[in-house]
Amino acid sequence: MISIDTVSKHYGSFQVLTDCTTQVKKGEVIVVCGPSGSGKSTLIKCVNGLEPFQSGTITVNGVSVGDPKTNLSKLRSHVGMVFQHFELFPHMSITDNLTIAQEKVLGRNKDEARDKGLKLLDRVGLKAHAAKFPGQLSGGQQQRVAIARALAMDPICMLFDEPTSALDPEMINEVLDVMVELAQEGMTMMCVTHEMGFARKVANRVIFMDKGQIVEDDSKDAFFGAPRSERARQFLAKILQH
Amino acid sequence: MYEFDWSSIPGALPFLWEGMKVSLEITLSAVIFGIVWGTALAMMRLSPVKPLSWFAAGYVNLFRAIPLVMVLLWFFLIVPQVLRGAFNLDPNTDVRLTSAMIGFALFESAYYSEIIRAGIQSVPKGQVSAASALGMSYAQAMRLVVLPQAFRNMVPLLLTQAIVLFQDTSLVYVSALADFFGAAYKVGDRDGRLVELLLFAGLVYFLICFAASQLVRRYQKKLNAHVAH
Repeated sequence: MISIDTVSKHYGSFQVLTDCTTQVKKGEVIVVCGPSGSGKSTLIKCVNGLEPFQSGTITVNGVSVGDPKTNLSKLRSHVGMVFQHFELFPHMSITDNLTIAQEKVLGRNKDEARDKGLKLLDRVGLKAHAAKFPGQLSGGQQQRVAIARALAMDPICMLFDEPTSALDPEMINEVLDVMVELAQEGMTMMCVTHEMGFARKVANRVIFMDKGQIVEDDSKDAFFGAPRSERARQFLAKILQH
Repeated sequence: MYEFDWSSIPGALPFLWEGMKVSLEITLSAVIFGIVWGTALAMMRLSPVKPLSWFAAGYVNLFRAIPLVMVLLWFFLIVPQVLRGAFNLDPNTDVRLTSAMIGFALFESAYYSEIIRAGIQSVPKGQVSAASALGMSYAQAMRLVVLPQAFRNMVPLLLTQAIVLFQDTSLVYVSALADFFGAAYKVGDRDGRLVELLLFAGLVYFLICFAASQLVRRYQKKLNAHVAH
């Protein structure tokens, strides 16, 4: 489904990604973790072309992301993305947030888009808030709307960029619950997150990144049981000791 | 001691109202044109296409570095010739109003484009990322996501600029055009009551601008309350 092959990226002389290679198969859930500044968010943004990269190739469902001939907008419309800061459109109602891209990008008619949007809103438990504006919802609720908004496009896979790291602790679980459900339904997912409980529960593989390189790419049991690299061991010790 | 005599004002009110209509016409046309052309300039300025960005920067810097009264005089002297040539107009057609409108509009666009550029930049970058991630083109992201938010934030500044612009329209007196100020001057000059007429004109400008800025302030409060949710 997603294939990342020797991808490198630099800003000027600063190397952000170095020869990253990995695959995500259909239905797999991959968790990407690592210290801040390790390039994990950059890597996930390369997958749908939000970040350009200088060398290597990324293909999503057989389409090359870096190829200048690729219609990136079309590709992105099938790849769902959820951001750290939700990025709902604050000037639109929740319903409009859920329908605008369905109508303007996929060309669905108003009623169809609305039905789809409200069904997904119900699924994330927020049907009662359809007429509200994003500013009237809590962070956790906004992030659930953002997930519903991405799902409304019928994505072939979902990318999550630290979806819970801007949330107050009591709201993290409501978002993770939605993600776990999604994973159990067989959605292909690539998640940048530090939520190791989530990783243990649903991840097929865990990727550990440091200084722009993929240091470890292993099944979750191997990763949590016996990380091969010293850096991954230290990282796990740091985030698990509390 | 100077004795005030206000008696020439009541009879002159219809003439003064005609002048006020000219002032408002110039203001309105410059605001509308200024926002449309200013938006285009702002988007050019922010565009990754270098020549567009340079053109917009040059335009804005040029107009912001020249006194308005000079721009108006140039337009008063040049535009009538051009218009007459271009549209084959009768040499006696009065194009002073049109040339004043064009001068103001081009001048104000430079100021509006800076307000609009700041407004566009005030929308977080993540909004464009989110719109792009949903498959929107750059133009769709701008039109549906960025500009509506930018304009909502900018309304108070745009209106304040319109108030300043309304005051500045009095500068068209250099082209002997009878705007409100010009009309008041003419009446005062005719009746030998310049002091009274100019005091009256000043009061009218003050009342209109003060009332308008109070409205802007109230709108701004409402806006802040809405954002603070």
